[in-house]
Amino acid sequence: MKLIINNPPPYGGKLVNNIDKKEQELKGSPVYDIKPEIDRKSGAPIRNVYREIMSICYGFFSPLDRFMTKEDVDSVLKYRRLPDGYIFPFPIIFDADKEKIKSMQLKEGDRLYLRLKGKPFAYIDVDEMWDFDPADLAVKTFGTPEKNSDALKKPLDEKHPGFSIYRNMSGFAIAGKVFIINEPKFKDPYSRFWYPPERSREEFLRRKWRTVIAHQTRNVPHTGHEHLMKEAAFMGDVEPCRGILVNAIVGAKRIGDFVDEAILEGHEAVNKYGYIKPERHMVSFTLWDMRYGAPLESLLHGIIRQNMGCTHHMFGRDHAAAGDYFDPYSTQELWINGLPSYGFDAPPYDVEKGLEIRPVNMQEFFYCPRCNEITYSETCGHSEAQRFSGSFVRGLIAEGVKPPSVIFRPEVYSAIVKWWRVFGYPFVNKKYLMQKEDELEVEVG
Amino acid sequence: MAYKIGLVLDEERLKLIKGTELEKEIKDLFGGTLKMIEVEVTEEQAKILMQLFPRVRIDARGFVEETPVAFRKALYRSLINHRSKKDALEAILKDDKLLNEIKEMASKEDEYIPPP
Repeated sequence: MKLIINNPPPYGGKLVNNIDKKEQELKGSPVYDIKPEIDRKSGAPIRNVYREIMSICYGFFSPLDRFMTKEDVDSVLKYRRLPDGYIFPFPIIFDADKEKIKSMQLKEGDRLYLRLKGKPFAYIDVDEMWDFDPADLAVKTFGTPEKNSDALKKPLDEKHPGFSIYRNMSGFAIAGKVFIINEPKFKDPYSRFWYPPERSREEFLRRKWRTVIAHQTRNVPHTGHEHLMKEAAFMGDVEPCRGILVNAIVGAKRIGDFVDEAILEGHEAVNKYGYIKPERHMVSFTLWDMRYGAPLESLLHGIIRQNMGCTHHMFGRDHAAAGDYFDPYSTQELWINGLPSYGFDAPPYDVEKGLEIRPVNMQEFFYCPRCNEITYSETCGHSEAQRFSGSFVRGLIAEGVKPPSVIFRPEVYSAIVKWWRVFGYPFVNKKYLMQKEDELEVEVG
Repeated sequence: MAYKIGLVLDEERLKLIKGTELEKEIKDLFGGTLKMIEVEVTEEQAKILMQLFPRVRIDARGFVEETPVAFRKALYRSLINHRSKKDALEAILKDDKLLNEIKEMASKEDEYIPPP
């Protein structure tokens, strides 16, 4: 390993930039309206493929520049790699209503235009149209405890939000390169935090950030998160990391989550009010309906953040998991020794065509009454830990108790209250969920 | 296995507990910035709570979490009335009328909680 680490290249060598400003939707061409994917049992929106189009076309998923063919998906499921050997953990599928597509008489080689909120948005140059079994795909995407005993504790089912995304797909896929023809405008507050890879790399250069550590989040930051960021940044090379990039995953939510607006502004408050210097900390987001695939999700996080220009990535216990399907340490194991059952005999930075980004595996920060401060589980020798349980904090907030500043910085709590007043609720509820997926984070001109 | 419900005590709640036998049960959290009383919950009681309120779950610390605000307020009132943590929870779980009222209020909590 080189001692001095510098801004890593985009994964695969080049950032995908599939923005085609010259193309206009042609009258009489086949046009398909993008709709949210709905969970058939609950009726709740669980995914909108527009987020995948945005993340492909702006280079977050580089080198992936398309919706996957059957060959791509087979390769991903078997090796967790694209056919050209680059790591990719999940099938990325444009699933469509087969009857509608049939009625358009669409064929391979055609250009299919996509509308978002009724407006021209993107197109796919169709390479292949293929059928799949969503139930089979859902199982193969995550694996089974028998085949993946180094990571999975029990079989995934429809209670798992990522499994549910694949299980509820239509079973008919359109594969091919995708291009945005009409760049959507982000609404407030998202517009402030939109740093697609090309822009985040420029920003890192402007800030002279030679080393940058990524912090994955889907939470408003409590002081435990703040300490995690501060301490993890001490990893670097000859000095601690110059920058901390908070990268929130913005996508379909689950009931009880914090709302995306409060997550972004809560993290912004951390630097705006100096808890971490704004010169060292910036907030951004990636559009993605999380698959909660723990170690698999961490691979995608590594790809996204390397593309954004990060040199390091924090991975905590139970990284990007939902429920108790995965071993809570499987992500950290992947990044220390590899997970052979998913095709990694070595960590993802130590395999052929691997990632450059380096892991920083962290444990837990909690309040220790003996130390009378926030301490780290691996160094504090006392046994009276008072943990920042997410559900405990949510309970406090719902009861109208202002969390003490040792848990939440007052300015971070103010961000929660600000959006609570807007939505009438401090967390995601059914109304927010439906409204968010109806209105999305963007306006299309 | 026994679980717990943590009842957070703000200034108003503290006033009614001070001077009673419950006062010695108050625990300091986070350097005394929060006060709490922990009510023990049996395995069976935890199951009942999970049936009554589907979002209720046990967290890694063994605390019964995500109970509705209406339930926690009722538990606090019951605690003040009974002056016993054990009796307070038992009394609520035996009172079908009260439980129905709590469920009714809890269903509205999913739609709106007044901001501070």
